[in-house]
Amino acid sequence: MQLDTVRQEPGAALGTAPKHDELRRPWRQRLPLLPALVFTVLLTQVPFLMNIWYSLTDWTIVPPTPREFIGLDNYGDLPSDQFFRDAAWVTVEMTVSAVLLSLVLGTLLAVLLDRAFFGRGVARTLLITPFLVMPVVAGLIWKNQMFSGLYGVVNWVTARVGMDSIEFVSRYPLWSIVVVLVWQWTPFMMLIMLAGLQSQPADVLEAAKVDGASGFGTFRQLTLPHLRPYMELGTLLGTIYLIQVFDQVAVMTGGGPDSTNIPYFVYQRSIGGGWEFGKASAYSIAVVVASIVVATVALRVLSRLLRGEEIA
Amino acid sequence: MTATSQLTWRRHTRRTVSILAVAAVGLAAVACGDDDDSAEPSGTGESPSGEGGEITVAIVGNPQMEDISALTPELFTAETGIDVNYSVLEEGTLREVVTRDIGGGGEQFDVVMIGMYEAPQFGANGWLTDLTPYAEDDDSYQFDDLIPTVRDGLSVDGKLYASPFYAESSFLMYRADVLEAAGLTMPDNPTWDEVAEIARAVDNDEMAGICLRGKPGWGDLGASFTTVLNTFGGTWWSANEDGSVAEAQVDQPEFKEALEFYSGLIGEAGEDDAANASFNECLAQYQDGQVAMWYDATVAAGLLEADDSPVQGLNGYATAPVKETDASGWLWSWALAIPQNSPDPDTAWQYISWATGPDYIEAAGTEVAGGWAAIPPGTRASTYEIPEYQEAAGAFADATLEAMEAAPIDNPGTTPRPGVPGVQYVGIPEFQDVGNRCTEQFSSVIAGRANIDAALSACQDIASQVGG
Repeated sequence: MQLDTVRQEPGAALGTAPKHDELRRPWRQRLPLLPALVFTVLLTQVPFLMNIWYSLTDWTIVPPTPREFIGLDNYGDLPSDQFFRDAAWVTVEMTVSAVLLSLVLGTLLAVLLDRAFFGRGVARTLLITPFLVMPVVAGLIWKNQMFSGLYGVVNWVTARVGMDSIEFVSRYPLWSIVVVLVWQWTPFMMLIMLAGLQSQPADVLEAAKVDGASGFGTFRQLTLPHLRPYMELGTLLGTIYLIQVFDQVAVMTGGGPDSTNIPYFVYQRSIGGGWEFGKASAYSIAVVVASIVVATVALRVLSRLLRGEEIA
Repeated sequence: MTATSQLTWRRHTRRTVSILAVAAVGLAAVACGDDDDSAEPSGTGESPSGEGGEITVAIVGNPQMEDISALTPELFTAETGIDVNYSVLEEGTLREVVTRDIGGGGEQFDVVMIGMYEAPQFGANGWLTDLTPYAEDDDSYQFDDLIPTVRDGLSVDGKLYASPFYAESSFLMYRADVLEAAGLTMPDNPTWDEVAEIARAVDNDEMAGICLRGKPGWGDLGASFTTVLNTFGGTWWSANEDGSVAEAQVDQPEFKEALEFYSGLIGEAGEDDAANASFNECLAQYQDGQVAMWYDATVAAGLLEADDSPVQGLNGYATAPVKETDASGWLWSWALAIPQNSPDPDTAWQYISWATGPDYIEAAGTEVAGGWAAIPPGTRASTYEIPEYQEAAGAFADATLEAMEAAPIDNPGTTPRPGVPGVQYVGIPEFQDVGNRCTEQFSSVIAGRANIDAALSACQDIASQVGG
């Protein structure tokens, strides 16, 4: 106790001092960082600004037409564009269902892995593997080896129990893609939840046990509240990534009603044959704005966690 | 909780969370990746001298083009001293790169391989060099030997903009043994109604009646379906006097009739998982004995009659089925063109003249691994007079030539079309996009997920965004 107080004192005293010092540090000391900073700005921000500029123009290269500045017309057209709305709705359905399902499955697997059992290391490695598979490969494997109506594993299994073969990808494109996404993203959620579970203080659980709480009661009343920030983090990070899903859509269905999400739609409207770069830029900016909103919330949660604030 | 334990716990949490955050950001970087065009020119070996010059050629990665790139040092560079650098690209990538390169006025390629859809459009845009003077002055090229429909399909106003390397039409392939066992005969020039009747008659649990493309894409379902649409009297757009797009015609009864027929035939007597089937899927099912008939590209016949094919010798070939018109087969070609801003069109033509001339076809027959059956077909009448080719491709050579010559390139349907000539597509730049998006809708009808009226109404909306 004494030690802690002593250790905290200099920290508290320095609370303002290093910040002050930081501000006065001369610029030339930071100069070596400048090339990297300029490079990063050029590489990330300039294309983005150009993208914003394109989104304010009417620019089609096939058939070749001169680029024209049209202000916000591309954005004004968004709400009335039926195909954009469809793609946006598919994006919402795909993202929400994939994130929630992988979060639930990831939590269950994390609870299992949190116990000590023989071969836990092997099991954990195997469970993480789907996350390491490249998205295109995952999409192709699921489409051809699992879902195929002719020689797919899933249909082979359902045929054993006397069901007719179902062409999953053609019949249920959205859910086929969601299954693959869940398969890939469950390990990610599992890792986050596992970190959450392992950071739970043992004495609290011990106290609960001493007080005679049931296993489920402990989980519901202590573990779940403790996991809440981790769940929020997983949900938000997962959402940011899954809004951008492209590979699985491209290789599994190649677009179509019920599987074209906004990233694929942007591809179709630009280099995928639409050649309307102005409109496509506006669509992509809309996704960026949506992602920034989600990301801002995500960063808030993250910083709250980093500050170590207790929520429950 | 004591202060100490809370502190360590917080530190612990903080550390794990920061690690997670770093890992997540790292993943973002990995997941973003990049889609490089990977258009790195690959050299074709040593050159005897620099005097002949050097050209860069963008080609599509099909077997015949791979053969020619392997033979170039020996057959072309050795003779002329011209070095040829090939960029082998996948079809979609090639289209993108070339459109950007030519349309944007780049000078990346001296010779580009383009399809029959692009050639006349790019030519009309002024992006390509007119090859007619070169072809007429070059005796070894034998201009008049080109199959007329193919030549017409690559020309605008009598100017040839691309020289055909490979060409194909479409026809109906069927298992003669299966039809005979069922006591049915296929006419040489069948109608779609006759074909549908036969398909329904031979369809059973083990073997589907017919394989038709159902996979979205203007070159997949779009190609097959548009030939049916044409012969049913329908069209995508009506045309103005000057050849521009007037109005979308997807909401017309002929269009609906054609789509009902097409999706209905697949539903009753078509292959499994039709909404995912295109050339390769149908080829596999036909060779595997899972379908009795197949309407697709003439080039498929070479694969069905190959020595390693399980159905070799069992097949009959009939012209593309019709309804309102006399002929309905499509017409497609991969052809070589010279961009307008090419610095050295004479050297580029020297290459084109060799690669698409009759001498290369003769030479390829003895040089390429696949033998005579693997030479680039469909471009020249003389190909079909070569005795060795007749022998190797006897089962389908005549049917192919007949299909090529009959392809209705100038007047594919019953009404005038907008744009430059085209059979299984409409010769306007917007068709690629409209075709892709509409066939997505039609494919979901074939999959049983959407009804025809909703799909047609969505497609009419898409097509209406063009012209007007």
